[in-house]
Amino acid sequence: MRGNNWTNVLINIGLILLSLVCIIPFWLVLMVSISGQNALAKYGYSFWPKEFDLVAYKFLIHDAEPIIRSFGVSIAVTVIGTVASLAITSALAFSLSRQDFPYRGALSLFVLVTMLFGGGLLPWYLVYTKLLHLQDTMMVLIIPGLIGGFNVFIMRTFFTTSIPPSLIDSAQIDGASEYRTYFNIILPLSLPVLATIGLFVIVNYWNDWFTSLVFIKTDTLYNLQYFLYNTLMNAQYLQSVADKAHIDVSTMQTQPLEELRMAMAIIAVVPVALVFPFLQKYFVKGLTIGAVKG
Amino acid sequence: MRMRRGSIVLSSLLLSMSLIAAGCGSNNSTNNEAANNKASNNKTNTSNNAGTANTATNTAADEKKALDPYEVVMVYPDPNQSDLGTVQAAMNDYLKKTYPDMNMTVKLSPIDWSAYSDKLNLMMSSGEKFDLLWTANWMNFETQVNKGALLPLDDLLNEYGPDIKSVEGDLLEGARRKGSIYGVHVHQELGNPQGVALSKELVDKYHIDLSPLKSGEFKDLGPILKQIKDAEPGVTPAVGPSFPLGAYFGSGSMENITGPIGLDQRDTNPDDQYKVVDAYETPRYMELAQLTHEWYKAGYINKDATTPGIDIWKKFQAKTAFAAIGTDLEIVKDMKIGEPSLMANKSTQLGMDIIQVPLNIDRLHTSKLSATLQAISQTSKDPARAMMLLNLFYKDKNLLTLFNYGVEGKHYVLNNGQIDVPAGKTKDNVGFFHDNQWQLGNQMLNYTRVGEDPNKYLNYEQFNEQVKSQSSPLIGFVFDSEPVKNEMIAVSKVQSTFDPGFQSGQLDPEKELPKMIDKLKSAGLDKIIAEAQKQVDAWRAANGK
Repeated sequence: MRGNNWTNVLINIGLILLSLVCIIPFWLVLMVSISGQNALAKYGYSFWPKEFDLVAYKFLIHDAEPIIRSFGVSIAVTVIGTVASLAITSALAFSLSRQDFPYRGALSLFVLVTMLFGGGLLPWYLVYTKLLHLQDTMMVLIIPGLIGGFNVFIMRTFFTTSIPPSLIDSAQIDGASEYRTYFNIILPLSLPVLATIGLFVIVNYWNDWFTSLVFIKTDTLYNLQYFLYNTLMNAQYLQSVADKAHIDVSTMQTQPLEELRMAMAIIAVVPVALVFPFLQKYFVKGLTIGAVKG
Repeated sequence: MRMRRGSIVLSSLLLSMSLIAAGCGSNNSTNNEAANNKASNNKTNTSNNAGTANTATNTAADEKKALDPYEVVMVYPDPNQSDLGTVQAAMNDYLKKTYPDMNMTVKLSPIDWSAYSDKLNLMMSSGEKFDLLWTANWMNFETQVNKGALLPLDDLLNEYGPDIKSVEGDLLEGARRKGSIYGVHVHQELGNPQGVALSKELVDKYHIDLSPLKSGEFKDLGPILKQIKDAEPGVTPAVGPSFPLGAYFGSGSMENITGPIGLDQRDTNPDDQYKVVDAYETPRYMELAQLTHEWYKAGYINKDATTPGIDIWKKFQAKTAFAAIGTDLEIVKDMKIGEPSLMANKSTQLGMDIIQVPLNIDRLHTSKLSATLQAISQTSKDPARAMMLLNLFYKDKNLLTLFNYGVEGKHYVLNNGQIDVPAGKTKDNVGFFHDNQWQLGNQMLNYTRVGEDPNKYLNYEQFNEQVKSQSSPLIGFVFDSEPVKNEMIAVSKVQSTFDPGFQSGQLDPEKELPKMIDKLKSAGLDKIIAEAQKQVDAWRAANGK
C-alpha cells in the first residue's frame, strides 16, 4: 500500500510537471497579450505583466472586421467539413467493416495506399486547380480534409469489434433496409468513435493554414489560422527583405505589435479549447473500446 | 474461396498499383507536354508578335497595325490592399488613354509575402498563365532560371525596352545567367552604407564626441559605449541582432562569393586580389569577433540579441537603447565615412531623433544587381507586350505613381510635391498603401513621402556614382553552386549554429572560432573554395581581368 502511495505521488508530480510544461507557454502568451506596449521592449517577456494594458484586445476589436470574417470562414469550414467528413468516413468504414461487402479487401487496400503514399504537393495542386477548378473557393478548404485513411481504419475497427454482426442480421430480419440499419442502429451505437474522430477532424480543420496558403488568394476567404500565420510571416519576410537585399522597408507596413500577435493566438486557441471538454468523455470511451477486443 | 480472395487481393493490388502508376505517369507526361506546348506556343507567339511588331514599325509610316488586346498579369509580393481593384482600373484607364496603340490592360496579382515563393513555385510548375513577375537572387531567381521558368530577355529588351536600356545600361548584366539576361534590374540605390545609429537624446545629454569614428573603425566606438554604460544603467549601449560581424564585416572587408567564401579585400593578400579565401580565417574576422566578445563581456550588448524576431527600434522607443551597430543606414547627400547625419525616415517613424554615422560604404557588387528584378514568365502568352509594359515603368512617372501610391486624392495627396495620406486617413485605412518602390521600374521617377528628404532620389543618384566608382573586382561574376551543392548545405548548417554566437559576442572566438573552422572544413569548405577559385580563374581568363 505504502509503495502504491509513493508511486501515486510520483506519478502525480510527474503529471503536474507535464501539465505545467503545457500550460506555461500558454500562460506566457496570455500575459504578453495583456502587457503594455513598451513593457516588452523594456522588460522582455515575463510571467506577470509589469504594465497591465488591454491595448492589443482593444485594437483587435477596433479592427475586428478581417478577424471576424476569418473566424467565420474557420467556423463554417470546420462545421461543414466535420459533419461531411464524419458522414463519409463512417459510411466508408461501415462498408469496410461488413464481412459480406464484396470488394472489401480491394477498397481497404485503396484506403491504405492513400495512408502510405501521398501524391506530393504539385499533383495535389494540379488536381484541385486544373482538374476541379476549386482554387479560391471555400470548397477547397473543405474537400482535402474530408477523408483520412487513419480515421477510416479506427472507425472500421470500432464497428467490427463493438457491433456484433448478429445485431445487423436481426435488424435486417425485422425488415430494416441497409440505410435504416446504418442510421438508426449503427450510428447511435457509435457515438464514442464519432466523437473521437470528430475531434480529430475538428482540430485538423481548425488548425489548417496550409490549404489556404496554397489555394486561397482572396483575403475574404482566409481562415483564422492562415490570417494569423500571414500576419506573422509577412512581418518576418519584410524583416528578411531588409536583411537580405539591404532594401529600405521603413516606409512599408510596420510590424504588428508582439502583444497583438499573442492576443490573436489566444483568440484562435479558445474555440478549440472550449470544444474539447464537451467531447472528452466520448474521447476516453472511444479509445478504450477501440483498444479492447469485445 | 481462399483462392478467390487471394486473387481478388492480388488483382486489386495490381489494379491500384497500375492506377497509381498510370496516374503519376499521365500526370507527368501531360505536364511535360503542356510545358512543351507552352514553350513552343511561346516561341511561335514571340516570333508572331515580334513579326507583327516588326511589320508595325516597318509600316508605321503608312498605317499602324493594331495589336490584339492583351492583359498583362503582374505577380509580385504584397499584403492585400482593399482598394486594389480601383488602382487597377485607374492604371487601365491611363494605359488606354495614353498608349492606345499598345492595346493592353494590366491585372495586378499580388501574393502575400508569406506565401510568395510557394505560390509562385506552384504557379510556374502548373503552367499557369502570367506575364511579369518580381524576383530576386535571394528569392529563388537562380532556381527559376535553372528550371526554365523565366524567358531569356535579350531580344525583347533590344526590341521593346529602349527606356530600360537607357536607364539601366550595363547594370542589366547583373542578371545574366548562362549567356542570357533573365531579369530586368529595378533601378535603385546600388549599395548601402553601414554603420552606427545612435539616439540623439543621449548623444546630446552627454555631449558625446563622435569625431573618433572618422577612422571608420568600430573599435573607436568602445569608449563611447563605455561612457553610456557607466552613466545610464537602464540603457543597453549596443543593441543587436546586427553587430559588426553582420553587415559591416561582409561589406567592408570581403567580396563575398557564396556562403563564407570570398575575396579578402583587406588583409590576406592584397596583391593577389583574386585569391578565394574563407572569411572566418581572415585576421579581420578574428579582430571584430574579439571586439564584439569584449563588448559582450563588458555588458555593452543586450543579452537577447540572438532571439529571433527581436525589434531593436522598439528598444529605442522604450528608451532602453543607445546604439544600433552594423545596420543599414539611410542614404544622404554627400555621404562620408564618420560623418554624422540625421536618419530622417527612421526619426519620423520612431518619433525620436536618430543619428547615423557611416563606417563603410558598399562597393558595386554583382549580387546587388540581381537583388530586385522583374522577369517574364515562360507561361506568358505575349512576352513582347509584357516587355512593353515593363518599359513604361522606366519612363512614365504617372503609371509608376499609380502602381506605387494609388489614385491621387483617394489614396494620396500631394503636399509640397511629396506624397501624403489624404486628410483624415491613415496608412491602415486608406485602402491602398503599397509603397514598395523597389519592386518595379525606375525608382528615381518616384515622388518622395512627407518626412523623407525631398532630394532622396538625387541623393541616390549621387550615391550610386560613388558606389559605381568603386566597383568590385568580381563585377559580373556569378558563382554556379551546382557542383558543390551538398557541401554548401553542410557548410551553411555549421554557419547557422555558430554565427549568431559570434555576431552577438556570446562566443569566445579564441576558443570557438578554430572549432568552427574545423567543422567547416569537414563539411567540405575546401572543396567549395577550390570550385570558386576555379570559376573565378575561368571568368578572369574569359573577361581579360
